[in-house]
Amino acid sequence: MGLGIELNSLIFGYLAFAMVVSSVLAVLSKNPVHTILLVLVMVVHQAFLLLTLGSEFLMAVQLIVYAGAVLVLFLFVVYLINLRKETKHSFFVKRFCLCSLVFLLFLGFMGVNLYLIYGAKKFEQAVLPFNPLEKDNLWWIAHYLFNYYLLPFEIIGVILLVAVLGAVFLVRKVKTTEEA
Amino acid sequence: MEDLWSNLFWFLAGTVILLIVSLLHVAYLTYAERKIIARMQQRLGPNRVGPRGLLQPIADMLKLLTKEDIIPAQVDRPVFYIAPFISLVCAGTGIALVPLWENFVISNINVGLLFILALSSLSAYGVILSGWASNSRYAFLGGLRASAQVISYEIAMSLALLSVVLMAGSLNLGDIVRAQINSPFKVYLIPQLIGFFVFIVSAVAECNRTPFDLPEAETELVAGYFVEYSGMRFALFYLAEYFGMLVMSALAVTCFLGGWAGPFEVPYVPFFWFVVKVYALLFFYIWIRATLPRYRYDQLMDLGWKVLIPLGLINLFLTALIKLIF
Repeated sequence: MGLGIELNSLIFGYLAFAMVVSSVLAVLSKNPVHTILLVLVMVVHQAFLLLTLGSEFLMAVQLIVYAGAVLVLFLFVVYLINLRKETKHSFFVKRFCLCSLVFLLFLGFMGVNLYLIYGAKKFEQAVLPFNPLEKDNLWWIAHYLFNYYLLPFEIIGVILLVAVLGAVFLVRKVKTTEEA
Repeated sequence: MEDLWSNLFWFLAGTVILLIVSLLHVAYLTYAERKIIARMQQRLGPNRVGPRGLLQPIADMLKLLTKEDIIPAQVDRPVFYIAPFISLVCAGTGIALVPLWENFVISNINVGLLFILALSSLSAYGVILSGWASNSRYAFLGGLRASAQVISYEIAMSLALLSVVLMAGSLNLGDIVRAQINSPFKVYLIPQLIGFFVFIVSAVAECNRTPFDLPEAETELVAGYFVEYSGMRFALFYLAEYFGMLVMSALAVTCFLGGWAGPFEVPYVPFFWFVVKVYALLFFYIWIRATLPRYRYDQLMDLGWKVLIPLGLINLFLTALIKLIF
């Protein structure tokens, strides 16, 4: 049992470390394609973190939606940018003081939060209305989504449909008067 | 504690054996392809290395391994190095989730089908990145084409598989096969004929095979996204393509053709029917390569978006309706 717990925290430590490092490198990288690759590394590690937490469904969705769709679209956009010009920009020089100020502000905010959570020992096991080990993860998600949150789910569907229609509307061919 | 180690041992042993067997299959798939296409074009095919050319894949492998690994001067090195590996890993990992017979599957997870879809969507990266990193016009165009194609056909493929999920009521590949065995037709091929058609066409497109091999259209793009690669890295792309065929065939067998089940039990060979079905589908892949000419790019996109996706949606709707009524 002892080994199991150690192994778990070891895996978590690795995943967290890799996520932090790849995120920082993604921000620091000048080449947008490298940035996207580093974000991909981050997303994949995040997916495996979800897997270690026992939510297989969320892992698969994370990989399909973020890694498979969103980042590929970003990559498409980056394809169309003139990279030779982009990579010559030097970042983090202008308004350096302002940036560091914001950074310190966020760091302080995070520190205060961590202190409030760990320092005050307000850290409790979440109380769930059901026993998650009874059925698998997928079953619970489907159960709650379709029994209790059906309306919000459908509304999201309609909103996405509006977005799709908007995209189609934006790229439609406009007939000029000469053509018509 | 001992349980853990013995489990781990059997898991690793199974993984290694499966890996070796599938790599051998991939190697001899290239041989089978060359031989079959030669027969269809009234040629002999490879017949110099070993009896009937049977050692040809080994000779090819040795040749590619010993060739110089050329890295063009202007490439983006890290991305250029890593792209073939992304391709191969994403194409090959899927085989670990497919149940080869009743109780044999390397990784039995509840969302197996979703995981395979996730891997196939990740495989777009290998293509896009190799096209971009090569810093060559041909590779770039090939990469653009391939990524657009893979993304479009993935939707149709997922729709076809969703109908199967709806019928089986599970995302676990083993459960899908069991649900098929208990269904009135024994296979989902008959009730899901439209779905099977959509799946097979999009699987061919996902693997970038003829008639959808536009990303590597020789007449226009020399060799497409991997034109700048040589030696072992080139071989990795090749392996990825054939591994992709193998995984897609195995997935089709699992989701539509009843997996390991057959008309009668074959003693001592539990994987007999699975392998027979996979071979039949692989032959089909090779057959259409020898028979059909390449599509034009706009025809390919039209087929994907205007035919296969609506067909997949209609199929999904009909499946849900039938399931609701009965």
